[in-house]
Amino acid sequence: MHSNPNPASRFSAGTPAGTAPSPRRGRRFAFSSPLEEIRDEMDRLWSEFTSAAPVALGPLVEWGLAPDGGRAVPAAAAGFPAVNVSETAEAIVVEAELPGVIAADLDVSVAGDELVIKGRRSSRQEPAETTSGERPSWLRRERGTGDFERRIELPVAVDPAKVEAKLCDGVLTLSCPKSAECQPHKIEIRS
Amino acid sequence: MTTETASPETAAAGRAARATFRPNIDITDFGTEVVIHADLPGARRDGIDVTFEDGVLSLVADVPPRDQPGTAIRREYGVGDYRRSFRLGEGFDASLITADYRDGVLTMKVPRLAAVLPRKISVTAG
Repeated sequence: MHSNPNPASRFSAGTPAGTAPSPRRGRRFAFSSPLEEIRDEMDRLWSEFTSAAPVALGPLVEWGLAPDGGRAVPAAAAGFPAVNVSETAEAIVVEAELPGVIAADLDVSVAGDELVIKGRRSSRQEPAETTSGERPSWLRRERGTGDFERRIELPVAVDPAKVEAKLCDGVLTLSCPKSAECQPHKIEIRS
Repeated sequence: MTTETASPETAAAGRAARATFRPNIDITDFGTEVVIHADLPGARRDGIDVTFEDGVLSLVADVPPRDQPGTAIRREYGVGDYRRSFRLGEGFDASLITADYRDGVLTMKVPRLAAVLPRKISVTAG
């Protein structure tokens, strides 16, 4: 059995996954029992899942990442989708990033000062099987899929009938005119 | 191995208006091809460049600024360009890489060379 210094090579093109020799760490024995092999494999899998370092991708290895690891904004924990909200004299404007969500899978509703963005992001653009009938393997998964719901409290009540929604290139823009009683109106001063 | 390096322009830009972001991706191996999905919300089709050079597949997307009117009262994400690169190993046919952008998601398909795909050989009775 030849030595396999690079664990990444187990994903090498042309080598069917699962039959490649498992990488060994530390001391190597002339003969390894099946039990030791299993233990080594468990150790390796465990270290892959628990290690903070990125998993080597074998044939597809990336580099050149932004220092903050992407869209690092403190409020990221707030939920999906992330929103930016601004206020003008007449309206509240809410923008949300929803890449991969089509309008038919999106449900936006407003009641008073609460805005609800609900929907589903599916991965249906991918076939469920490879051409040879096997399940495709995930080399990296960073994009979430499934149902989402986000409730956002607006600073003032808006007029639900006048909310305009636009979804373009994965960005949802909601223009929510404030309800009449919340709009500033000029008060005439009598002399 | 996977290496991550900070690109100088991003480090310099910091949280400035024209920050560059690393898009979220999925990489799926379908046997005959490897598919990369990248979330690029706000990018325009004609602002996306996918290049392959020296074994590195790079995606760069220029995102036009979208300034919201009025006063910002909640800000959970920044708007900026996207940039991410992937080093391809052996066995891929770079000349057949395709890229398609729809609904804010870029899909890149990287086919394997036919020569490296497993082939089933039927056994004939002699």
